[in-house]
Amino acid sequence: MATHLYTLAQYTKLSLLKYTILCFAALALSVLNGCGGDSPKGTATEKIILEDDLGRKLELNGQPKRVFSLASSMTEMLYAILDTSTIIARTPNDDYPAAVYTKPVVNNYPVDYEQILLLKPDLIFTVEGITPLDVAERLKELGVPVYYQKYRTVEDVFTGMEDIGKIMGREQQATQLADSLRKEVASIARKYKNVAQPQQVLAITWKDPIYVYGQNTIFSDKLKILGAENAVKEVFEQPYPALTREYILKLNPDVLLGGSKEKLEKEFFNLYPELRKVKAYQNNRIYDPTDNLQSRPGPRVVESLRELEGFLYP
Amino acid sequence: MMGRGLYFVVALLLIVVVLGLGLQVGSFEANATTIWDAFFNYNPDNTTHFAILHLRLPRLILALVVGASLAFCGYLMQAMVNNGLADPYLLGTASGASLGAVIVFFGFVPISMAGLYLPSVFAFAGAFLVTLVVVILGYRKRQLIPSQMLLAGIALSSLCTAMVGMLTFLSDSEGKLKSVIFWSMGSFERATWQLVAYPAVTIVLALLFFLFYQKQLNVLLLGSERAQALGVKVARTRWVIMGVVSVVTGFAVATSGPVGFVGLIIPHVTRAVMGATGRGNLLFCAFVGGFFMLLCDLLSRVIYPPAGLPIGIITSFFGVPFFVYLLFKKNYNFRG
Repeated sequence: MATHLYTLAQYTKLSLLKYTILCFAALALSVLNGCGGDSPKGTATEKIILEDDLGRKLELNGQPKRVFSLASSMTEMLYAILDTSTIIARTPNDDYPAAVYTKPVVNNYPVDYEQILLLKPDLIFTVEGITPLDVAERLKELGVPVYYQKYRTVEDVFTGMEDIGKIMGREQQATQLADSLRKEVASIARKYKNVAQPQQVLAITWKDPIYVYGQNTIFSDKLKILGAENAVKEVFEQPYPALTREYILKLNPDVLLGGSKEKLEKEFFNLYPELRKVKAYQNNRIYDPTDNLQSRPGPRVVESLRELEGFLYP
Repeated sequence: MMGRGLYFVVALLLIVVVLGLGLQVGSFEANATTIWDAFFNYNPDNTTHFAILHLRLPRLILALVVGASLAFCGYLMQAMVNNGLADPYLLGTASGASLGAVIVFFGFVPISMAGLYLPSVFAFAGAFLVTLVVVILGYRKRQLIPSQMLLAGIALSSLCTAMVGMLTFLSDSEGKLKSVIFWSMGSFERATWQLVAYPAVTIVLALLFFLFYQKQLNVLLLGSERAQALGVKVARTRWVIMGVVSVVTGFAVATSGPVGFVGLIIPHVTRAVMGATGRGNLLFCAFVGGFFMLLCDLLSRVIYPPAGLPIGIITSFFGVPFFVYLLFKKNYNFRG
């Protein structure tokens, strides 16, 4: 944590500097814009009406040229499809692809409205559950529409890509990417079409209290593609429900994801020694998936499937 | 006198009934026969038996013990400061414990060390340290001044809450926030037999001790001058109460988080039923506290399976209406 604080201090210093530079840049830009604005362009005034995955209606003044995302997974999507010069910012958590580090940072928790206005985006992309709806409403009032996507299945990610392509005029790139990823998913799915006894997998997201990946998450679909199943069959209201030790004992999963064996031994089984009875512990089938890879539904979804495949069929 | 004895029997019976019901609620199907078998024909290969004896029972006992501890400490605090608004957390125990646990969750120290689960250890340390500071601040002319101590407690609690708030705000993960919420509302899900042992032994010892100390406590209710005149060493009695309350609450909070409301309301229930100075008041208060907590735990798991709502939410939901009823009951006097 000490190092964490250090980087935080460093980081604020840095961003302050960047901030001032940006202020000037934005000022200069706005002056330029103001001059150029006198001659109206036909495309800029054309209104576009969009409906996002949550059924919210958005109004755009022409095709968006300056966009960014408030969710790390969405940032990966944008980088995979867009001309990167149209991506104008990143959130503090964004770390993939590495090129994202060249973009100015916008705080997403709490949302830095002022900085967003300064950057003048035409549209902000985000993912359901990451950006609260009231934040989106506030941004709309400030003249910045927010477009939500939601994914329950791997296929949802691919259609999401195509939607982004359509909005941003990059249909060809988006379709190409989506189709090649679809092919890869199909070839993985073919391998595990006839698994006789699907492995029951439990993925923990937090240890005290115990939170896990619920049935209604994209994780369940990934497992299905790999011929396995989410051990949690019951559908809870929350995507990541809290469970009791007894519930997990009853699920008795074959595979447990959530950290290395040593780490879980110390931080999980030490706290809940009763859970050493589950099959995953008895048979030593505990794995440590890469958090950012698994938790971000995006263009690396096939990579995340391959990682899970490695755990399920070692 | 007969009447009071009857109340004890009723309280005990209620505890047994709720324990019996509580043992049946969980993910594994279990009826009365299964529970009987788990106790008397235990089969180590039967997971249901295992769940009943090693998950459900320690959880219920922990709820019972923590409820008893908090009610008992609330009673002592109300007697000590001679004010019906007092509760065990006035000394800053709850927020101190939360801060201790949160410090671990936010990664300043490892989660476990030498086999010890550090959030509980730090919660206990936090509770104890904050209490110590509050007592030092409430100490003047070789005496504990209750009003000064209360103010110190409120101030330090706010400080700890602010620090928890700051850590929470700066956190980068939603999971951590959930831990903080659980730590501010309480939960019995961590219960194991080893964990239950600490608060259980403490509350039993404290109850035994106060069976012999009850007289001083009742005289204290007359006010410190009169108590002094009647030969009670007021200063020393306050120290004893302080010490016991901080240890008992510390263990309760370190194992389950700061469950609210029990320590405030149950002492009032006790006095409403048993009179202000009854002989068995402390013991009865512990019984009722334990029963109330068991009931709340059961409700929390029935309403919101499987994990149960944070217990503090239930204690308030069911405690407040009863409190209002007491407020309107004419022949009950809220003054300590």
